[in-house]
Amino acid sequence: MEKIKNNKIVKAIGFNRIVLIGVIILLYVLFSVLTPVLHAGTTFVSYERIMSALNYAYFIGFLALGVTFVIATGGIDFSIGPVMFASALISGYCLTKYNVPLPVCLLISIGVGLLFGVLNGYFVAYRFLPSFITSMASMQIAKGIGSVFTKTQSVTWPASAAENSWYRYLIKWNNIPTGLILLCIVAAICAVVLHKTRAGRYMLCIGSNKEAVRLSGVNTKRWEMLAYMICGLLAGIAAIFYVGAYTTVQPGLGDTFNNEAIAACVMGGTSMAGGLASILGSIIGAVIVALMQEGILAMGFTISYQYVLTGLIVLAAVTADIMSRKRKN
Amino acid sequence: MGEVILTMEGIDKSFPGVKALNQVFFEVRKGEVHALMGENGAGKSTLMKVLTGIYTRDAGTITYEGKEVTYHNPREAQAAGIVIVHQELNMMGHLTVAQNIFIGREFRKGPFIDDAKMNEEARKLFQRLNIDIDPKMTMSDLTVGMQQMCEIAKAISHEAKVIIFDEPSAALTEAEIDRLFDIIRELKKQDMGIVYISHRMDEIKRITDRVSVMRDGAYVGTLITEECTKDDIINMMVGRVIYEEPKTESQVAKDAPVVLKVEHLNAGRMVKDVSFELRKGEILGFAGLMGAGRTETLRAVFGADKKDSGDIFLNGKKIEIKTPEDAVKAGIGYLSEDRKRYGVVLQKTITENSTLACLDQYVKGIFIDGRKERKVTKKYVDLLKTKTPGIDQLVMNLSGGNQQKVVVAKWLVNNCDILIFDEPTRGIDVGAKQEIYELMNQLVKEGKSIIMISSEMAEILRMSDRIVVMCEGKKTGEMDIAGVTQEKIMHLATMRE
Amino acid sequence: MDQSKTKLQFFKKLDLQRVVLISVLIVLFAFFSIISPNFRKYTTIITLFGYMYYILLMAIGVTFPLITGGVDLSIGTGLVCYSIVGSYMINHQGMPIWFGILVTVLLGTALGAFNGFVVSVLELPPFITTLCTMMIARGLGSILAGGLTGVWPAAAAEGGWVRSVLKKTLPNGTIVPIGMIWMLILILIMTLILTRTRVGRYTIAIGSNREALRLSGVRVVKWHIIAYMISGFFAGLAALAYGWTFTTITPGTGAGFELDAIGAAIIGGTSMTGGKGSIVGTFLGVLLISLLKTGLPYVGLQANWQQIITGIVLLFAVTIDMIRAKRAANR
Repeated sequence: MEKIKNNKIVKAIGFNRIVLIGVIILLYVLFSVLTPVLHAGTTFVSYERIMSALNYAYFIGFLALGVTFVIATGGIDFSIGPVMFASALISGYCLTKYNVPLPVCLLISIGVGLLFGVLNGYFVAYRFLPSFITSMASMQIAKGIGSVFTKTQSVTWPASAAENSWYRYLIKWNNIPTGLILLCIVAAICAVVLHKTRAGRYMLCIGSNKEAVRLSGVNTKRWEMLAYMICGLLAGIAAIFYVGAYTTVQPGLGDTFNNEAIAACVMGGTSMAGGLASILGSIIGAVIVALMQEGILAMGFTISYQYVLTGLIVLAAVTADIMSRKRKN
Repeated sequence: MGEVILTMEGIDKSFPGVKALNQVFFEVRKGEVHALMGENGAGKSTLMKVLTGIYTRDAGTITYEGKEVTYHNPREAQAAGIVIVHQELNMMGHLTVAQNIFIGREFRKGPFIDDAKMNEEARKLFQRLNIDIDPKMTMSDLTVGMQQMCEIAKAISHEAKVIIFDEPSAALTEAEIDRLFDIIRELKKQDMGIVYISHRMDEIKRITDRVSVMRDGAYVGTLITEECTKDDIINMMVGRVIYEEPKTESQVAKDAPVVLKVEHLNAGRMVKDVSFELRKGEILGFAGLMGAGRTETLRAVFGADKKDSGDIFLNGKKIEIKTPEDAVKAGIGYLSEDRKRYGVVLQKTITENSTLACLDQYVKGIFIDGRKERKVTKKYVDLLKTKTPGIDQLVMNLSGGNQQKVVVAKWLVNNCDILIFDEPTRGIDVGAKQEIYELMNQLVKEGKSIIMISSEMAEILRMSDRIVVMCEGKKTGEMDIAGVTQEKIMHLATMRE
Repeated sequence: MDQSKTKLQFFKKLDLQRVVLISVLIVLFAFFSIISPNFRKYTTIITLFGYMYYILLMAIGVTFPLITGGVDLSIGTGLVCYSIVGSYMINHQGMPIWFGILVTVLLGTALGAFNGFVVSVLELPPFITTLCTMMIARGLGSILAGGLTGVWPAAAAEGGWVRSVLKKTLPNGTIVPIGMIWMLILILIMTLILTRTRVGRYTIAIGSNREALRLSGVRVVKWHIIAYMISGFFAGLAALAYGWTFTTITPGTGAGFELDAIGAAIIGGTSMTGGKGSIVGTFLGVLLISLLKTGLPYVGLQANWQQIITGIVLLFAVTIDMIRAKRAANR
């Protein structure tokens, strides 16, 4: 019995993974073929391109991991992108203008993210506000605070080889993509939390049927809030990986990353209706998003195409999810 | 009784995995009241939804006024003169009474809606039916009974030739039911064909001319009401006699201790100063009409809704129950009338549902102890005879009766001593019903105590040791099972001021 | 008896929230005026109106999806997209100005119809649907216009008459905010549509109980789509007002505009749970938000605070709305 179950799970995840990895390979081939055609003199097949795509995948990956928890509870967090930027701006400003030690700055970054998680979680879980409107409000607040704190200036974190630049080793160390390793470790922890602990179990059940869980004597508010806190925390971590890759952050931006992180989740099989989530899927989804943006730019299109594509992907994924649910009922 | 106006023949309808209707026959004559009876899930509502075009039939013919017809939506059926008064209230609370009645066919003056004329027409309609409701009132401000009357007025205001009443009396007082019957007699005189769906045997005898019975999605037969007895109808409905005789005396020892005592409970507008006590090993029945405040009372006791005032004593000690968490810690379990919404997590497995109420006992370090969890789930699946291919089955794939068992298992895993069953057999087929009853009797024998809310008189009389009756949020009576009659309960259940 | 009834209804209509809202408006206006002499100037009022038009137009439109119990997040980036494409037609495709205006408004209505279709036929949650179209609109504007910035004719240029639709400069130099008159007329028309026509009646009914409306034989899908089309149409109008007030439109902006509009509608008494809302209330909400936005710099808070204020106001408004909805349910 035990064996069959294990086999089944392996099978289920395997199938999902095979399809998504197939998509990655397909995209890679597609971009490799099309890039020289559409954008003469350039090539898609290179180590630099892969590293560049990975740089994008890291922070989108962390954002997607976090928002997976929130979506699992049946909610949504539209604030993660701007929150990530607020984290990077505030901690970066502390580092460059106030000479706060780097480790403290990294903690500040995570702390800012966590704070926004608490804000979202409080209003959604304890004040029963719809999550989308709550997080959109905090998105505005995050954008505003980022601008106000830095007096509307962009912040540039130390470049490689400069003083206080060891944080960049989190991304890449001696040409080893350490970021990938760290992302995988954090993803593994997330998967364990979601599927093997009480917190994860409750979050998924809340996503399926919150009222039934509450009437089972579970303090649903606490667990729901925890999901938003995890999401905020990971947005704070994502900020570190963002600056690790790109160093410069501008105030007032970041909202397009919400969409891409959410797209990564729904592509990976996490259901917007709640109750169903896949950490592995979110990571693979993030890689697809990163690859897409790399490919679109390589082929000589503007980033606008990425926005449109992301929108269409989410629309298609959610429609498919809803259709399959309808068929089941 | 006039000529046949509507005939349905050989109607088939399947949903994935279920044959909901199988070769059903049904006819209505002009100027008759034709009862459609059957257990829950027998297919009465489905048949009417097929008729009015909400569902598409798989096979069969519908002949109306001599012509074969197919309606694709309620609008077409309405236009042809077939209207339905739904069981669940279909009103738009934010609009006024008149706006609700004329929704979809507003009187217009140029581009604008003529609300004045709609109010006037509604007033005339109410006068005709002898109902005193102001058409300008906002719908959500009316009582449930008044809303029901508006629904009926709405149905009649169409140029109806066939009116279907789907359990119209479930929320009405005796006086309101009398009024309803007067209206039905009036409609009958106007040569309309009336379909009356109800569970209440006495109503069927009072108002209907013929009775058609359905069972498990199939047509069983038609009787002339005057010529048959209650038992004839019941026999057709159930096929085999399962309606055991009511309990004649309490099975609880005289000196059984009081496990739960509720005093002067107030919560919202549906629970007013309710007090009662529950003894060890007792089944305490809560009887009353729909909307009497029974569910609200016990939800407040359980902490699911806010209490305004009142005290709760557990085994003689006063306890604070503010949230379901407190109640579950105190060993109280609640089985909702709406299992799918409030009882089970449909998309999760039996195992996950079974340990939901006490997951902290199945945790090793920070991880869930899968083996222990599965062991206890297996135990209760066997014990309750839950029919399932395995404990990893999603609850959504189980039948209603087996879902109910999963909810029971959830509370037993948590070792609850007090169980609140809210309409325990609603939407459960006949065979499984019997099993739930046996299970409840088994539980009280083991020393658990049960509060059972039920709107089915037979269920109340059969299961309860003692009965509390509520009406409009107040407790109107409490009595021992010995010497209770249906009439007594009905009287208390309709004691409105 | 009868008299007391009408009296009661009078008080019911003059609901508390609106009284509070109007008082807040007055207090706030007085506050800004006392603190800052510059705020009292006529030009400030004109600036305030300029800020208000496009928010008001979006807000009037979004009130309809909100009343159905949904939402339309696509109006913000949509507005920028329509405005860019409309002006692109005039500047780079040699189309007459009326054509550009038509394109702007039709594009908005079309996206609204798409939203309505997905929400009512495919039954996707409104916020996800319109989130997706929000992303799509964001990219679509620059793709269609080749990444160019949108520019509407300046006052002196050919076609500059469009600007005098909102703001007319008299020969003696006085600026007359004519736009306000159009706004008041639109408010009146939309109030009539909401309260006296089938469009409004069914919009409310969908928010109150969609299934009941369907069972009453009303073609719910059609009216549901119309509600979203109104929202899109008004986003198109807002695109014009925005272009005519601020002249240049940068591609990729516009995210967050929708929150001002949604916040204003909710402050004005439109409920996120559906079934309830008013255009006049929305107008008052817009007044409050634009007053805050234009007033804050005068009391020494930099412009960046505007976003924070939007966020806080939105949270506040929705919290109040939730408390109100809960109370209505327990009554």
